[in-house]
Amino acid sequence: MTLHEKELRAVYTDTLIELMTTNSKVVCLEADLGKSSGTVPRVWDAFPDRFFDVGVAEANMIGISAGLANEGMVPFCATFSPFATRRAYDQITISIAYAENPVKIVGTAPGVTTAKNGATHMCFQDLAIMRAMPNMRVYCPADVYELRSMVRYMAASQKPEYMQLIREVHAPLFDDSYEFDPHQARILDEGADVTLVTTGLTTQFARKAVGSLKQEGIQAEHIHYPSVKPFDVQTLLDSVKKTNAVVTAENQNVIGGLGGAVCEVLAENYPAKVKRLGSQDRFGEVGDVPYLSDTLGFSAPKIADACREMVQAK
Amino acid sequence: MDFDKIESKEQLDQLAKEFRYIITDIMCRAGGGHIGGSLSLVEIIITLYFRVMNVKPDNPRWADRDRFILSKGHAGPTLYTALAYRGYFPKDVLLTLNANGTELPSHVDQVITPGIDQTAGSLGQGLSCANGIALACKLQNKTNHVFCIVGDGESQEGQIWEAGMFAAQHKLDNLVVITDYNKMQIDAEVEKIVSLEPVVDKWRAFGWEVFEMDGHDWDDIHATINKAMAVKDKPAMIVAHTVKAKGNVCYENRIECHFISIPDEDERNRVIGGVCALDDDEPFHFNWTEGK
Repeated sequence: MTLHEKELRAVYTDTLIELMTTNSKVVCLEADLGKSSGTVPRVWDAFPDRFFDVGVAEANMIGISAGLANEGMVPFCATFSPFATRRAYDQITISIAYAENPVKIVGTAPGVTTAKNGATHMCFQDLAIMRAMPNMRVYCPADVYELRSMVRYMAASQKPEYMQLIREVHAPLFDDSYEFDPHQARILDEGADVTLVTTGLTTQFARKAVGSLKQEGIQAEHIHYPSVKPFDVQTLLDSVKKTNAVVTAENQNVIGGLGGAVCEVLAENYPAKVKRLGSQDRFGEVGDVPYLSDTLGFSAPKIADACREMVQAK
Repeated sequence: MDFDKIESKEQLDQLAKEFRYIITDIMCRAGGGHIGGSLSLVEIIITLYFRVMNVKPDNPRWADRDRFILSKGHAGPTLYTALAYRGYFPKDVLLTLNANGTELPSHVDQVITPGIDQTAGSLGQGLSCANGIALACKLQNKTNHVFCIVGDGESQEGQIWEAGMFAAQHKLDNLVVITDYNKMQIDAEVEKIVSLEPVVDKWRAFGWEVFEMDGHDWDDIHATINKAMAVKDKPAMIVAHTVKAKGNVCYENRIECHFISIPDEDERNRVIGGVCALDDDEPFHFNWTEGK
């Protein structure tokens, strides 16, 4: 099986095993959702001395990880995105970010990808609340190559970092040569009609939207942000100076996340009209990903509609 | 008093007297502070830093040192006084407690204060961090110990008990935890808010080796900590019976001692007087100019 045929969680596990093989400081923590992250049983079997399932105790997992990082270990701790962020937010704030303990937090099944688990597990604010935390970096990989490079980068970085991890298979966008740089957004398509800004899951949706827009003669400049924080300001400004119209799409609430970051940057540097797609400040519900992303307004057709409207309104 | 001269109980008593004066004085100068939970820990923290822990003040992050996590981070002033007396920083730095731009904030901070092993202050978190530190020390085959002090009010946090289960599960016998059981919290007596009792049985039921001690008796503290350090295959909990605001007659064992405000010179003199009043003979006054 080639890399891009694998589920992202399998690549997360492969990369962790690769890192743990070469670096004895890397440790893996779970809070009874290791089967979902993909680390149970593979990481547990491969490194029983450096795998710790803390049970259903996310706050404790964050604190233990902080202590491990304080001692020079490199802890990757994972659970569903709501439990990895909002459930343990004060613990992350004080024991990790404020204390500058470089823990690697992985939030799985972000937003609508938790699907049939429904609203209780459907976190639409992790990008916003983690972005609002000083010292914390916030990443959303869009394919397996980016994920692998990002996890390698995180293992070497001395910063507290949060990464969303979608479990399922994604279409490949990059290749073996890809190297993640949190300060560098990726222009996936060039165009002068509208700037389309996405991250993670919506980067996948936007590829389809950009294709259909092209057939109509609309050239969208599609920028993928693997890092929502730090945020690559220059790439956005260079694009918007050409297009003067922006659409953002995210698997999140429109308040405070990627769209929020874009609006902050533009308001301070180059005011332009922005349409933010994502949950319009509402909770989720049970359903599959196509249904939920369309209902909430950030599916490929909804992204194409928004781009079309922005161009027509010029 | 120099560290290397401390041998007798009289010298320890003198050190505790100086600590209580300094803690009270720097809080008064700062306009207030967490006096109750700081004074209840004087003998325990002196014992750790002057009789038990293997540390190098000239190399605060020395890899093989014993670690100390003050999970009830608001008792920082007592720890800062111990660090100053051990030479981590000059004693007159203590006068900057809570001043603008200080290295000594009300709650302990591993980033800005030399000798602080773990940031704490949001209650309930330090024991989890101590678990991680103890785990990391074991993974790196260290033979040191990790000490952690939790508050009794703090033990109402669920995370303390999450950490308690984990430490026992992973047999963290390099971890020695002390509960500062002064039996008071901000709003009232712990017993009136949410009782910890039977706290000894609870920790035992969680799989810990549990001891009790008089948290103001030098011999009992020293002997009990040594026994706790010798425990194998499980973490050790010491329930330390202490008196909140011990040694200051203005506040000793009074509910309002958790945090005091010092609005003016008169109140400052009254509270400073409170720490001197228990002296049988000559009251101690620390001369900040001379540093003694």
